[in-house]
Amino acid sequence: MNLVHLHLLLNHIPTIGTIIGFGLLLLAFARQSDELKRASLALFFTIALAALPTYMTGYAAQNALKDRAGVSAALIDQHQSSALLALMAMEATGVVAWFGLWQARRPGGVARWNAPVVLLLSVVTIALMANAANIGGQISHPEILSAGETPATEGALAPAMLRTVYIATFQFQHPWAWPMLETLHFVGLSLLFGVVLLGNLRILGVTRAAPLIDVHRLLPWGLWGFVINSVTGMMFFVGAAGQYYDNPAFHLKVVCMLLAGANVLYLTLFDDIWTLKAGQHAPLSARLVAASQVCLWIGVIYFGRMLPYLGDAF
Amino acid sequence: MDAYFDWLQNLPFSIWMSESDSLWAYPLILFLHSVGMGLTAGSAFVVGLRLIGVGNSLPLSSIRFMFRLFWAGFFLNLVTGSFLFAAAASKDGHLAIYYAKLVLIAIGILVSVPVRRFVDSDASDRFVPGRIRTLAALSVVIWTGVITAGRVMAYVSL
Repeated sequence: MNLVHLHLLLNHIPTIGTIIGFGLLLLAFARQSDELKRASLALFFTIALAALPTYMTGYAAQNALKDRAGVSAALIDQHQSSALLALMAMEATGVVAWFGLWQARRPGGVARWNAPVVLLLSVVTIALMANAANIGGQISHPEILSAGETPATEGALAPAMLRTVYIATFQFQHPWAWPMLETLHFVGLSLLFGVVLLGNLRILGVTRAAPLIDVHRLLPWGLWGFVINSVTGMMFFVGAAGQYYDNPAFHLKVVCMLLAGANVLYLTLFDDIWTLKAGQHAPLSARLVAASQVCLWIGVIYFGRMLPYLGDAF
Repeated sequence: MDAYFDWLQNLPFSIWMSESDSLWAYPLILFLHSVGMGLTAGSAFVVGLRLIGVGNSLPLSSIRFMFRLFWAGFFLNLVTGSFLFAAAASKDGHLAIYYAKLVLIAIGILVSVPVRRFVDSDASDRFVPGRIRTLAALSVVIWTGVITAGRVMAYVSL
């Protein structure tokens, strides 16, 4: 088992998972079932998390294949840019899906636009994922091409500005770009960390003065912090993938981040804590999740800071 | 002043900070400085957002503990920041942006005093006066500025 193997395993999740999520959401509409809708939204959120390492491990696969006879560098580049475009659609779907889950607990309920927007975004994601997967398949399986068909080295779906080559060169042509992205990454970190501490320290009982449903109102700002950091973080990754994809500190950072994401899903889906009034204790299970969540985010900060020391990032 | 910076940077501790390969030296201090940043800026952001009007149903009296995180982060970073400065005093001591960062931190702390006094008062669960809202918005801007100055320090040589 290595990173290439992991890429070949993970790359089925965004394509097949999104189709299943889409089917569930259609069924939820047909049956008018809120349960099915929640299941579909939770699935989209989970796949959006899984799509991040799927994209990242692609660089290990590229590194393993690039010198092999008969493997086209142009085709790999095409796959990479298509995958990045599909990833953007997938992450947008995941964010809107999380908002749907969050809105279900607010007094006004889920906004009418939420499920239709998730449905639309998921269709776009399925199309872009299928395209990326198809091009990816051609890299080492030319036998999937029908007679007379040529590999998809031309005719990119991704606009020039969203292609990996453009993003990578842009950051290094402009001396202000990297420091500016780092600044945003730190602002996003602080925003996310602040909300993580507010929510989890309340659940842990460091202070029990707040009713949890009111703490819930501030959670989207934690998500905005996470969105800022996913975007800027992916820009670092695309800009200098060589120093991250094989970096042990980076692997640990991503693992901590994905586990923290699973925690967020747990706290979002289960009802036991959100009914707690001022002064009430959270159940032990919720406190364990909250404690692990704080530790995991500190882990994300630690391994992020250790990128140049445990690995060789600049 | 140059003599002082040189003295500081050549203390055995400073040399250990800047030259040791140990993960317990410079990397640990840098990590703790990031955690302190998350504590101070993070709680300033959360309290600031709430005072500006986000999540109005959350009683202000229930987030008073965020100020303890704010100060914990401040003292952690006062210590770790001094260590980081000692390790690079001859360079950082000549950076205008370093002094800009210190000034911004001082303003951020000054602004936090009336904001905390309001949040700690019995009046905090009624309505938020415009003056406090303005100060809260200002504190979000200032701590963003502190982070920016800190990041830029790593990239400029003058």
